[in-house]
Amino acid sequence: MKSLPLFLGLVLGISVLAPGVRAQETASLDVTFAGLKATQGVIMFTLVNSEEAYNDKAKPVAAVMLPVAAATATRTFRGLAPGRYAIKAFHDLNGDGKMNANPFGIPTEPFAFSNNAVANMSPAKWAAASFEVKAGANAHAITID
Amino acid sequence: MDRRHFLQTLTGAAATAVLTPELAQAAAQLRQGAAAGINWQVAFSDVDADLPRAPLKLVHGRAPKDLAGSLYRNGPGKFHRPGGSVDHWFDGDGLMRAFRVSDGAATLEARFIDTPKRRVEAAANAIVQPGFGTARKPGAQVRNADDANSANISVMSMGGELWALWEAGSPVAMDPKDLSTRGMKTLRDDLVHMPFLAHPRRDPGGDVWSLGLSGAQAIVWRVAADGALKSADMVSLPTASYVHDFTATKRHLIVILQPWVQDRMVMPYADSFTWRPELGSKVLVLDKADLTKRRIYELPPFFAFHFGSAWEEADGTLRFDGCFTPDARFATTNGKAFMKGTFEPEPDPILTLVTLRPDGRATLEPTGVTAEFPRVDGRRSGDARRYTIHATATAANTPLFHGVATYDWKAGKSDSYDFGASHLVEEAVFVARPGGTEELDGWLLAPSVNTRARATELHVFDARRIAAGPICTWRSEHVLPVSLHGVFVRA
Repeated sequence: MKSLPLFLGLVLGISVLAPGVRAQETASLDVTFAGLKATQGVIMFTLVNSEEAYNDKAKPVAAVMLPVAAATATRTFRGLAPGRYAIKAFHDLNGDGKMNANPFGIPTEPFAFSNNAVANMSPAKWAAASFEVKAGANAHAITID
Repeated sequence: MDRRHFLQTLTGAAATAVLTPELAQAAAQLRQGAAAGINWQVAFSDVDADLPRAPLKLVHGRAPKDLAGSLYRNGPGKFHRPGGSVDHWFDGDGLMRAFRVSDGAATLEARFIDTPKRRVEAAANAIVQPGFGTARKPGAQVRNADDANSANISVMSMGGELWALWEAGSPVAMDPKDLSTRGMKTLRDDLVHMPFLAHPRRDPGGDVWSLGLSGAQAIVWRVAADGALKSADMVSLPTASYVHDFTATKRHLIVILQPWVQDRMVMPYADSFTWRPELGSKVLVLDKADLTKRRIYELPPFFAFHFGSAWEEADGTLRFDGCFTPDARFATTNGKAFMKGTFEPEPDPILTLVTLRPDGRATLEPTGVTAEFPRVDGRRSGDARRYTIHATATAANTPLFHGVATYDWKAGKSDSYDFGASHLVEEAVFVARPGGTEELDGWLLAPSVNTRARATELHVFDARRIAAGPICTWRSEHVLPVSLHGVFVRA
């Protein structure tokens, strides 16, 4: 399993208005992580809008370090272009910025994908994890831990 | 599947569907078995609920007064759910049994190991997780090996706890008093979800060695008697073989690398392996004190699930035994067939001595004796020993074994007892007589599935007089499927 890229600093509700998209066609997205058992560390996640970006072959829309202080954690994105998106996330329990793995490469920190798409000895695929973001308000919940 | 269900299936099949060759074979075997009064399928049938502790009925003989303790045994105990079943015997939910013996009386209790796999599948009302021989079904989720951990092969006593052992994931800690599950063991935080084989080897000093395999890499575990991790080191193997068991002398770890080789990673797990006899078998000998010191011996191709303890002679010769078949077909053929109520004839596993000489030569000496589930007098582990304890005696119309034996390596002969084909006899565990010191001065405890009485039985033998038959037998009101491996813990 590839480790997620290392990110520095917080990304707070950045506007990612794509060129040529009119204001009334933009979308917002509330992403909520639920089921958190360890109220420590950060959730490191990427929001992508293409299969290439999902497979780390293009840049993500956003890369976030979301501090965990309760059983849920939420981040809102505004000014998104409507389309298909996906999220890959892991709970960085020890705060070292990396998804830790055992000597055989199996993740030792919790991870999750949008749509709660399942891993089966390899990450969930874009087809299973991607979801529609429509113009206006959107919400997406992911169970992690 | 039980006999009634199976006959209904046959009737249904005849009335409404084509009788497949598989069903026809199963029906033929059922008729042959039925003619002989043998319904062996009961030894591979589901247990639907935990068994509370209940007295066993003494049906033969008298128990030795100084036999006191608990025989814990593990093995797959549930294979079917309404929404779907496992495809392979090795993938059933681990069911921990305890036969407790004291003052000439015995009780039996059994409790399923509470694994994440069992919870997911109880909620789904279907077997969904992949396994050794079972494909992934809709609803499967495997983030790591412990999501598929059926904890169903063996059990060891560690620091006052029981550890239920699988082989591809973590041990599961249990309470020996009531067989409740305490949870998966993580021996160190960075070693979560690592594999731990079902056949650890205890040093005379008390340290426990095990391995965990992934392709041609292995982790070497060294655990203290109280369950604390002493070391965990990675070693590379000359071949990415399937490894179920390994052996050890006082100074060495001995890893047998058979030519059933992993060349991909797919589910079911067994589909990742290909039989490559042209590679031969290799034996990797590692120095316990320095795992970088190694020696590799070459042998002809063979397959064995199980090996006996090894020893080193004064000149550096190493010896151990195993139960050898010509290839790995049982793992893929009969393991699946048992779940369908049928089996294919296969060559018997043969007790074979392996000798590794200081000049690098290695030899195999088959005894010709049918043997599986080898055990030893544990006080001789790591030393030269005279005897191997084993299951024996196969039949044409039932699978597995219906006898118990000891093999005398010095005299080259067996002392054996055959229950007849109506019993499926399980591994026999040696219990030393308190105060005795001679090898085999003590008893063998071996359960069997008595298919005529449709009951699980526990037999006690004088370990030095097997041919005389069991000195006592207790019988349960219930029948449990055959278990695989166990341990006796003194009271």
